[in-house]
Amino acid sequence: MLKQSVLRKFKEIVGELNCWHKLEDLISYSYDAAVEEPKIPDVVIRPNNYEQICEVIKICSEEGIPLITRGAGTNLSGGTIPVRGGCVLLMTALNKILEINREDLYAVAQAGAITFNLAQEAEKNGLFYPPDPGSMKYSTLGGNVAENAGGLRGLKYGVTKDYLMGVKFFDMEGNFVTGGGKTVKLATGFNIPGLMVSSEGVLGVMFEFIFKLLPKPHTSKSMLVIYKDIIKASETVSNIIASKILPATLELLDAFTIRTVEEATKIGLPTDADALLLIEVDGHPAVVEEDFNKIKEICIRLDGTVEVADNAQQKDKIWEARRKALSCLARIKPTVILEDATVPRSKLSDMMKAIRSISAKYNLTIGTFGHAGDGNLHPTILTDRRDKDEMERVKKAIDDIFEAALKLDGTLSGEHGIGIAKSKYLEKEVGKGTILFMKKLKYGLDPKNLLNPYKMGI
Amino acid sequence: MKEIIKELKELEELIMRCMKCGSCQSVCPLYRSDLKEQSVTRSKLAQIESIYEGKLKDTGKILKYIDYCLLCGRCKVNCPSGVKVDEIFLRAKTILRKIEKMKGWQKLILSLAMERPELMGKLAPFMHIALKFSSKKIKNDIYKPIFKDLSERHLFGIKRDPFTKSFAGLQKAQREKSQVLFYPGCAVQYIFPQIGEALVRILNYYDVSVLVPDLNRCCGVPAASMGDLELYKKMVNENLDFFESTKMPIIITCCPTCEYGLKDLGFRITGRAFSGKIIDILIFLEENLELDIVTSLKGKMSLHLPCHYDTHKSNLPSKFLNDHIKADYVTLDNQDCCGFGGTFNLKFYKKSKAISLPKAEEIKAKKIDYLFTPCPGCIMQLTDALISAQANTEVFHPIEKIYEEIKKRN
Repeated sequence: MLKQSVLRKFKEIVGELNCWHKLEDLISYSYDAAVEEPKIPDVVIRPNNYEQICEVIKICSEEGIPLITRGAGTNLSGGTIPVRGGCVLLMTALNKILEINREDLYAVAQAGAITFNLAQEAEKNGLFYPPDPGSMKYSTLGGNVAENAGGLRGLKYGVTKDYLMGVKFFDMEGNFVTGGGKTVKLATGFNIPGLMVSSEGVLGVMFEFIFKLLPKPHTSKSMLVIYKDIIKASETVSNIIASKILPATLELLDAFTIRTVEEATKIGLPTDADALLLIEVDGHPAVVEEDFNKIKEICIRLDGTVEVADNAQQKDKIWEARRKALSCLARIKPTVILEDATVPRSKLSDMMKAIRSISAKYNLTIGTFGHAGDGNLHPTILTDRRDKDEMERVKKAIDDIFEAALKLDGTLSGEHGIGIAKSKYLEKEVGKGTILFMKKLKYGLDPKNLLNPYKMGI
Repeated sequence: MKEIIKELKELEELIMRCMKCGSCQSVCPLYRSDLKEQSVTRSKLAQIESIYEGKLKDTGKILKYIDYCLLCGRCKVNCPSGVKVDEIFLRAKTILRKIEKMKGWQKLILSLAMERPELMGKLAPFMHIALKFSSKKIKNDIYKPIFKDLSERHLFGIKRDPFTKSFAGLQKAQREKSQVLFYPGCAVQYIFPQIGEALVRILNYYDVSVLVPDLNRCCGVPAASMGDLELYKKMVNENLDFFESTKMPIIITCCPTCEYGLKDLGFRITGRAFSGKIIDILIFLEENLELDIVTSLKGKMSLHLPCHYDTHKSNLPSKFLNDHIKADYVTLDNQDCCGFGGTFNLKFYKKSKAISLPKAEEIKAKKIDYLFTPCPGCIMQLTDALISAQANTEVFHPIEKIYEEIKKRN
């Protein structure tokens, strides 16, 4: 329970209208997009400027109140669930894109700005912000940095960490910290942006970023490739990359996902296919044409049937299948668990085989789709959280999926983060020494463990 | 109280489809304006859930959160899991209304509007006069009330004669080829009879006879949104009984919300569907008749698409405009709800206005002369906002301009 005197102080800082403490309001901040048990915070505060953040931090620090920074609450690992109660710091009002710089190719944005808005502002200026997580229309940039969000373009363009040039934040003492900057080269002190990416809100409260922008690619071309055997589709992915071509996107849908999408949308997908690849190449028209033809040859050599999108409409239709994959799967059962185990892409077919056998072993419905080009698959488990017996099997299946990914030199999470959902597996991937290193770093900066406690097992 | 919790628990099957992904944030006009989770669907579903899961004991607290919703349906259309948000909210409101009863005057107005249509018709001349005496005329047919609480509004006049008083009966086409029934809805009945007239005369011109009912029975949507589903069901049933009794194969509407209430939502709440078709006038004109009218306007025009417009035909109104009205067509960046939301406008006028103003500002900045929208509610709301924004734009239902052209031909 929060002391009345503290609550009064909070209200003085941000005003009555930006401070919530009634149970019915707090419920709205007890969950995020992960399938995890909700936990109710003690207070929610929405700052409207940077000074207010600093003041709130100082009070939390003095009073020993846990502080959980939250944007849109769309992460899939329970990263914003206030496990130990405390204060949720809602960043949604700090939502401005402050600058798009066309000469030096960067953008300055606040932590609560929506990813999609940054991408659009960049595009209006003939520039390109490539990270495009599935939730980009509502996710905030602060969350994207804290979770190192990815998307469909990872293979060629990388993920959020590849675009973060600078960061401003307060540490748990309320000190103002800035890292990185607006220059391409920068070798002053620690690589603080690199440290803050993927830190899941445990090291500081980030409020402003500098992001790298790219020139917008001239043109792009898409194709859909149908396979009778998913292993051939996986081999195609390895072959394309081995022939030194980097498609902008290279997405895979398995048989179950194809059938589900087709049943729901009737867009004309081949329901007897074992796998689909959706491929897009972008860049200079001449290069696009050459790469596109090379890819086509590889696909045909591996028994793929190629359908080319000749116009914007057809292109849209191809991508609709991918865009709707999750929503179509989600409609089958009430509970959807979206995993993001990732393997080196040469191991993609092994991972696909492993997921298939796990699905059979535990008698579960798993649809798999994902970013084949970067080895990041989304095995999607369809279940009902009220079914205790099945949920037990789901847990075991997840254990097995992670184990399989680690055995193939992969990782627990390509883009969703660890949060509370995967914290128990983390040591298995990184080892004791790494956990200890993370803990020392964390306790050095935040000895009372107030910043987003219990995340990543810390 | 146990009974209420049990009834809310019956919504579990619908609510647990929500995977809390947060997609609703990207389309919810209230969330985008408020920037707090409490305003968005995901949160409201979590609140209902927390009651039947025993986390929130004070059941009476959440009605005001659920009630704070435009029922624009954007979250439902965009929901990856297909959560039936409208149904959940309306059912939950009705259950929660057992704790917090509707205010006396709200109940009175509802029952007058729904259950006593003949009396409403008789009261119209008095309301017409009352509004005139209690307000300032701003421009033709637009009034600004002088009472403090209402003085920020710009209202259309209530007409002395309701639409059905002048048009009831079979309005026969000269060379009748088919017959339809017209469902006017309350806005045409009391405020925009000229839209009803345009609709009837256009259909007559294209050889369709139109049966206009003697009485306009409300579609019931306001009752549903106030938390009285029983009254809503009663209105749907009465209307469908009447439709069936006329043996008309087609019912024409010109208010998408009435259509939604009598068709889509009506079916889901009552389990009953009309044996023929209920169609919006623009869709009927485009798909059933050879409309050869092309009228020209000087200046720029744009379209506001109403929230409850048939989702499968959402491209039709812009095509209709471009095919039949020649003017410089401008697409608006702001494709949000106008903020009206029927009873939402009465309950939360300030917020309702705050949502419509950015759209009005864009319309003003783009110097749009004519804004078309196939919904009387949107016409009221956007007219109010445009006058507040000091824009010179006029708002019409598209068929009003079509009728003007027909009158020229005759």
